[in-house]
Amino acid sequence: MDFEKKLGRLEEIVNKMEKGDLALEESLKLFEEGVKLSRECHQKLNDAESKVKLLVSVDQNGNANTVNFVPDEN
Amino acid sequence: MSDQTESKPLLKTDLGAKLTAPMNDAAESSEPHVLTIEELNLSIKRSLESQFSLIWVRGEISNFKAHTSGHFYFSLKDAKSQISAVMFRGHNSKLRFKPTDGMEVIVRGRISVYEPRGNYQILCEMMEPVGAGALQKAFEQLKMKLKGEGLFEAARKRPIPHMPRHVAIVTSPTGAAIRDILNILSRRAPWLPVTVVPTVVQGESAAPQICEAVLKAQKLPSVDVIIVGRGGGSIEDMWCFNDEKLARLIAASPIPTISAVGHEIDFTIADFVADLRAPTPSAAAELVAKSSQELTTRLQQQERLLKLNMQKYFKALEQKWQLLTKGLVDPQKKLQDLILRNDDLVERLQMAKDRALSERRYKLEILEKRMGSPQELIQRKVKELEYLTQRMNKGVSVSVERKKALWSKWCSVLDSLSPLKVVERGYSIVKKDREVIKSADQVKAGDPVQVTLAHGQLEARIEKVIN
Repeated sequence: MDFEKKLGRLEEIVNKMEKGDLALEESLKLFEEGVKLSRECHQKLNDAESKVKLLVSVDQNGNANTVNFVPDEN
Repeated sequence: MSDQTESKPLLKTDLGAKLTAPMNDAAESSEPHVLTIEELNLSIKRSLESQFSLIWVRGEISNFKAHTSGHFYFSLKDAKSQISAVMFRGHNSKLRFKPTDGMEVIVRGRISVYEPRGNYQILCEMMEPVGAGALQKAFEQLKMKLKGEGLFEAARKRPIPHMPRHVAIVTSPTGAAIRDILNILSRRAPWLPVTVVPTVVQGESAAPQICEAVLKAQKLPSVDVIIVGRGGGSIEDMWCFNDEKLARLIAASPIPTISAVGHEIDFTIADFVADLRAPTPSAAAELVAKSSQELTTRLQQQERLLKLNMQKYFKALEQKWQLLTKGLVDPQKKLQDLILRNDDLVERLQMAKDRALSERRYKLEILEKRMGSPQELIQRKVKELEYLTQRMNKGVSVSVERKKALWSKWCSVLDSLSPLKVVERGYSIVKKDREVIKSADQVKAGDPVQVTLAHGQLEARIEKVIN
């Protein structure tokens, strides 16, 4: 599930809980799912390792050959 | 060589005489020099081509034809004259615009004579549209052409994903543009994977390289948005982004593409065909990061709501619980009540049982009384049986004797009625044909009859019938 879908599901859960006519067990289940989704979303956002690559070449099978890239400062 | 020196004076006189008939000159001379056509055309060729080896001419294009060989054939004309013109493939391929009829141009070239036909033309080496610059002209032409094909239609533009998974940036890895873009992305969308697809982005010759880089970017796995661009520069610097092939590649891209060429005021063909035009490379990065920032805001909001709702839910549960506990009775007390109630019920049950039993017993007694003891009943039945046996035995013997008496009575009756007995008393029986004759009309005179007597029989004949 990508970020947007996760966020969409989280909104759905919040809406369901807002209606407040859920059984305890179900609302706990939903809450748990919601917390999990938000954690996953955050994980993706906070994953700030260097993700900038420079494409060096593309091999015959179409696989990209890349190296880490930092642009010159001047 | 010697031909050329000789031809010089000829050229002078020829040019001076313009198109005056050489025949007249020849006729006047005593020994006319008669030229062959070939010689004449060759001299003309030499003179014209050396005289007009580098000329600039201004005129309007007409009868333009792009031959399959790649050469252009057309005429250049003004209000009063025209001249044939050719622009060979080697030269016209450098043109940034497509010449069309009616276009006012300035050409640089030279005059060339085609000897076999004796005609001359201008061989164009360079052509510039009059008025707007050539580049501008070319730009407008390509723009009109692609627009006509519907490549700029808003309807065919794909939306840029809200939360891109992977962005490819087609630009120079050393320019200011890539620095700006990465700066903004690292600040605003640090999670976003970026692949820089390096290419030259300077000048006209860069176009094929940019095309190749765009193609590579389109094929990168997981890339869902592409930025193509460069920083600001002269119109010539940025010209590679007005390339038709590049424009078509971007228009046909399976992946949403953002153009980011030069500054706000710079428009290239790439900008028109891209799914989104960013005024600058920095702006492109912001556009990519912007919608994802909206998403993160949404995420924070939803997280807050999730917790809030859960708290609200628990609070509501707590209230409900408190309300219910108030209504609850002490279980100890409830138990005592239950014990008492149980005892009471048990007692009542016992009483009811006793009452029911005594009732039943009483009823049974009454019934037993009514029924009597079984021994009495048996004795009575035995007596009854004896009596009946007696009656039956008696009855049987009476009926046997009665039957015997009846039988002997019937025997004597039967005996007295026997015909033999009657015959014994002196009567005889007359039969005719075995039939007993009881009346005289049964026979007539002469009939044979049999007469049975007490002892023996007679065969007789009727003598006379007397009625």
